[in-house]
Amino acid sequence: MFAISVIAALALTGCAGGGAASAPAPAAPADNPAPAAAYLPGAVHVITREEGSGTRGAFVELFELVVDGQDMTYIGASISNSAGAIMTNVANDLNAIGYISLGSLNDTVTPISIGRVSGTAENIRNGSYIVSRPFNIATQGDVDALTRDFISFIMSAQGQAIAEDRGYVMVDDSAPEYESSGMSGTVTVGGSTSVAPLMERLKEAYEELNPDVFIEIQIMGSTAGMTGAIDGTLDIGMASRPLSASEQEVLDHMEIAHDGIIVIVNNENPLNDISFDTVREIFMGEVVVWAQLANQ
Amino acid sequence: MKFREQGMKAVFLICAASSVVFVFLICLFLFINGIPPMLELGVVNFLTGTNWRPTSTPPSFGLLPMIITSFITTAGALVLGVPVGICTAVFMARVCPKPLYRALKPAIDLLAGIPSVVYGFFGLVIIVPMIRDIFGGRGFSVLAAIVLLSIMILPTVISISEAALRAVPETYYEGALALGSSHIRSAFFVVLPAAKSGILASVVLGMGRALGETMAVVMLAGNQPRIPGSLLEGARSLTANIVLEMAYATDIHRDALVATAIVLFVMILTINLTFSFFIRRGGR
Repeated sequence: MFAISVIAALALTGCAGGGAASAPAPAAPADNPAPAAAYLPGAVHVITREEGSGTRGAFVELFELVVDGQDMTYIGASISNSAGAIMTNVANDLNAIGYISLGSLNDTVTPISIGRVSGTAENIRNGSYIVSRPFNIATQGDVDALTRDFISFIMSAQGQAIAEDRGYVMVDDSAPEYESSGMSGTVTVGGSTSVAPLMERLKEAYEELNPDVFIEIQIMGSTAGMTGAIDGTLDIGMASRPLSASEQEVLDHMEIAHDGIIVIVNNENPLNDISFDTVREIFMGEVVVWAQLANQ
Repeated sequence: MKFREQGMKAVFLICAASSVVFVFLICLFLFINGIPPMLELGVVNFLTGTNWRPTSTPPSFGLLPMIITSFITTAGALVLGVPVGICTAVFMARVCPKPLYRALKPAIDLLAGIPSVVYGFFGLVIIVPMIRDIFGGRGFSVLAAIVLLSIMILPTVISISEAALRAVPETYYEGALALGSSHIRSAFFVVLPAAKSGILASVVLGMGRALGETMAVVMLAGNQPRIPGSLLEGARSLTANIVLEMAYATDIHRDALVATAIVLFVMILTINLTFSFFIRRGGR
């Protein structure tokens, strides 16, 4: 199926090239990405994250899928429990649509803009792309000097630059420079699967500046991260969602970056833009075939 | 000498006791953590509710779709896998030429040793696209899970059935031949019925495997928390329900997942008790 459509696409490009050489082509599709060009003939395959995931929580909130406290996400939507699984499913299924964290995006899938605003760090910072959520870290009580030093690195100009570089949005654009304090020891960090890729980069950069420090990262989900910070098994917990009231009572938390959530489709899907309301209707199960988008 | 003998006795006793202790501790943990929230949610509501919306306010925790899905996938896997498995076992015990047996036996043992995530990956790459192309739809479906599970229970069904068939006294087979039955007829109508209880045990163990399988099902079934309307729709098994949401669950949501584990545990326990019942009957 996939292979056939690739061949078809290549054949089309070949024809267009030949036509342009002999006679003026009526429309060159490459130059003019017309929005209402064509829709896929099939049914929309909605993919979402599992209940309780930080990404899903933010997504349903931002797209107003929560009505009277009830999560109204389409019951027929397939459920995957990681951004990687969603990307694999979307990459292998022509008709799929899903959403992932901006920092997880790679070129196996195509991000689509929402109301003509693409989900870039730039647009998230200036507020035009509204589908974003906080990345939090949390600690409990008096933290030791080494943990404090690592946190000050995360919040420094270098740490924030790494976040920006990875496609996330910095929370402090006038952060002070970090200077190595030459400490040694181990810091254990654990929690959200979404925050982990960013934390890995921060760890690498920090360990380069402080060769005697080892940062251990455990990937276990936001809630497990917060639980670990509360019971003391983790020095720092990571969460890709705001902290719950019971967690806020015992933990100190701070936002280290902002993450965009982007809607993705298969690379062969001609769709490149979608309205806010359409996204909402797709994920509520009101739009079931792509052709319905023509009437939007 | 006597002292060493006593010492080793104690070591073996501790080893034997530890497995009993672990089973006991797991039961204890499950029931202490799961029973109170189950009562709080209402046992009837929990087992017969059809809505699973754990993060809504107010949340709903209805486990019926998952229970039904677990039954459907397990039953489907048995329907597809057991006939193939039993026929393979008869072939291996009664028909198979020696050189072929030497290749077949390790292959089946290997099938049992493949990690379930590898099965899941195989399903994701082969079975899901195949179902999508043949039947349409999204491919992630109950049917995909059934097909994969039927393959996964094969080694269990085959090796236990084969052992049961080989345990049937040779005189049965020879007696059937002497009465004029053909080779295949003797194998299927005399030896196979005589190994009935062992074969039933293999089916029951296969059922336990299918019911408890997690990773492969999560990767293929689509995981929608609803009662599937057809085999081509996606649905969520009990195991998938736990593993999907455990990472992020808090408070009552987490308790509901532990309660899900209790339901699964009781189902598996029932199957295992049935199994030991058949074993005991087979012994007699």
